[in-house]
Amino acid sequence: MTGDYKFDTLSLHAGFTPDDRHGSAAVPIHQTTSYVFKNTEHAAALYNLEIGGHLYSRISNPTVAVLEQRVAALDEGIGAVATSSGMSALFVTVLALCSAGDHIVSSSQMYGANINLFQHTLSRYGITTTFVAPNKPEAFAEAIQENTKMVFGEVIGNPGLDIMDITRVGKIANDAGVPLVIDATFNTPYLLKPLKNGANIVIHSLTKWMGGHGVALGGIVVDGGNFDWGQNDRFPTLTESHFGFQGVNLYEEFGPAAFINRVRTEGMYNVGPCLSPTNAFHLIQGIETLGLRMDRHMKNTEKMLNFLSEHEAISWVKHPTLPNHPDYEVAKRLMPKGSGSVIACGLKGGRQAGQTFIESVQVASHLANVGDAKTLVIHPGSTTQSHLSPEAMKAAGLTDDMLRISVGLEDFDDLKSDFEQALSRASKARG
Amino acid sequence: MKINLNNEIIFASTGGRVFEPKMDPLWFIHGSGQSHLSFILQGRFFANRGWPVIAADMPSHGLSNGIALMSIEAMSDWQIALMDQLDVEKVQIVGHSQGGLIGLDMAHRYPNRVSQLSLVATALSIPVNAGLIEMAKNKEQSAIDAMIDWGHGPEGHNHDNTMPGQNHLNFGVQLMAANKVGALYADLKACVDYTNGNLAANEIKLPVQLILAQKDKMTPMKSGLKAAEALRTDNITIVENAGHMLPSEHPEDVNRALRSFFIKS
Ligand SMILES: Cc1ncc(COP(=O)(O)O)c(C=O)c1O
Repeated sequence: MTGDYKFDTLSLHAGFTPDDRHGSAAVPIHQTTSYVFKNTEHAAALYNLEIGGHLYSRISNPTVAVLEQRVAALDEGIGAVATSSGMSALFVTVLALCSAGDHIVSSSQMYGANINLFQHTLSRYGITTTFVAPNKPEAFAEAIQENTKMVFGEVIGNPGLDIMDITRVGKIANDAGVPLVIDATFNTPYLLKPLKNGANIVIHSLTKWMGGHGVALGGIVVDGGNFDWGQNDRFPTLTESHFGFQGVNLYEEFGPAAFINRVRTEGMYNVGPCLSPTNAFHLIQGIETLGLRMDRHMKNTEKMLNFLSEHEAISWVKHPTLPNHPDYEVAKRLMPKGSGSVIACGLKGGRQAGQTFIESVQVASHLANVGDAKTLVIHPGSTTQSHLSPEAMKAAGLTDDMLRISVGLEDFDDLKSDFEQALSRASKARG
Repeated sequence: MKINLNNEIIFASTGGRVFEPKMDPLWFIHGSGQSHLSFILQGRFFANRGWPVIAADMPSHGLSNGIALMSIEAMSDWQIALMDQLDVEKVQIVGHSQGGLIGLDMAHRYPNRVSQLSLVATALSIPVNAGLIEMAKNKEQSAIDAMIDWGHGPEGHNHDNTMPGQNHLNFGVQLMAANKVGALYADLKACVDYTNGNLAANEIKLPVQLILAQKDKMTPMKSGLKAAEALRTDNITIVENAGHMLPSEHPEDVNRALRSFFIKS
């Protein structure tokens, strides 16, 4: 640490300086597509990456930049690029590192769309992926090939809640000359800063806990600046001449910031999944209280775990903070403040009981999201994961009786009563 | 570009343009534990405006191989050797911090090789704190963290940046950590050991400019102003609210001041 402000201070202030003219205390929403150049020289300078500033909101925007700077500060990264969603954050990351013929090693236990992007979309463009179990670090070592450009995974897998030991996997990847890219959506920098624990690049779906309010989609890529792209010749997109900007060599001219510059100068220029300034504003509002909210999420999760573990209608409960979780020790070491607020549990009575439970809750909401301030419940077997074959369900560690609960910030007494009545109806439904 | 100097491969940034020394090149010299990356927004700005630019990584720094040099004089000799290697007769030096001491020494001992001197956040001597030198030797990461903390002003500490989305403090840490182990210690030791600043200032006759940071905790503005007096120059720019790392924190102010001073042909 650099004698820096602490987490909760950064959450409120990092990345924003009130402007001289109006002194707006809140981050203004710069709802504009473009910026008036001072003169032709100024315009050219912006296009040539020789001065800071904004030229077009697909590339950068002052409100979005505050969000980027704030998350970079919280994650201790050297820079960030915000995107329209968590998925596009992953896509522009892959785009900056991989070309046709390249290879990715990825955890097999992840959010469905992350898996689908690798398995079905990138494969059509000649980028292949080997999937391995996140909690078997040696499997990553074996899967890395000559053409592997990144190792990828979620710290806390969605929805199976397997834990990836990123310290060990990071070392394995880095020893092989490959960066570790981590989807940190479920942990947020409050529970774990992956860049300080083995990862080189972090992406977040800001849609979830970071925003916390469920009103805006967004994603972000944060560059740790802690990977030497010039150590081998694996990364020509960063160490050879860029197609634009007079053929700039990003590694030579921007050093540790080569990757994040490539994301902006290719992902945002040529693909353009930019975040709207209004969404950036909403996400900044959420991040202001991230620490407070995460503490409360952890407290309510603990109470919910106790409640569910003792409830007769529940056959099993899975959460990385429970000693019966296979990755309990790793989770405790990586995330001493708690391992997220998503709980998986099995309802006696299988699918029928699950559906009755979901349809009976009144305080909790039945929807396909996680990380909202409100408690959310879903039955993956009949919804988010319903497209998976029974074998794929099994491979993803999912069962028909499983419920996913994203524990919110409500008064726990109310949550408890709500769950009591819904569980009791579910028990009756199974007859 | 990569250059073979004294049988070591070293790197010098040319600001992203082909280096053609058709006039006295702008010769950027980095500070303690830094590299050419201190001058990203100077190199590109001036190279794109037609100036030949060199910002070399000294041995063990940035992308240069070789063993770290242990004295300011050895560093000056190295810079002169690089000029010889590139067939450059005279340069316009921009020295940041320790780079300023090297610039002073070059102008003093090789007066025919320097046309003018821009001294950025520097002084005639840099009496580095003994604790920091000790830390650089035994706990380099702590020394880096401390220097990045002290080296940045309010904007850096508030994680604001003229380059959208970028972070000064964490970038600074990674920039310094990318140097070879021992480079920082050698630099800091060279700074304390350099005592010829006053003598150099008395004897230097070429045009000198100072660009100082108002909130500089590492080479306080006061010592910069004293240097200006000894160098008999009133070409002083003070960048308000800036810390020691002003070339990256306040690039536009620094570039404006440099541009008004540089000779074009
Ligand atoms: C772990 C994880 N990563 C990425 C995403 C995708 O995020 P977004 O919906 O913002 O594109 C999700 C969404 O559920 C997620 O749970």
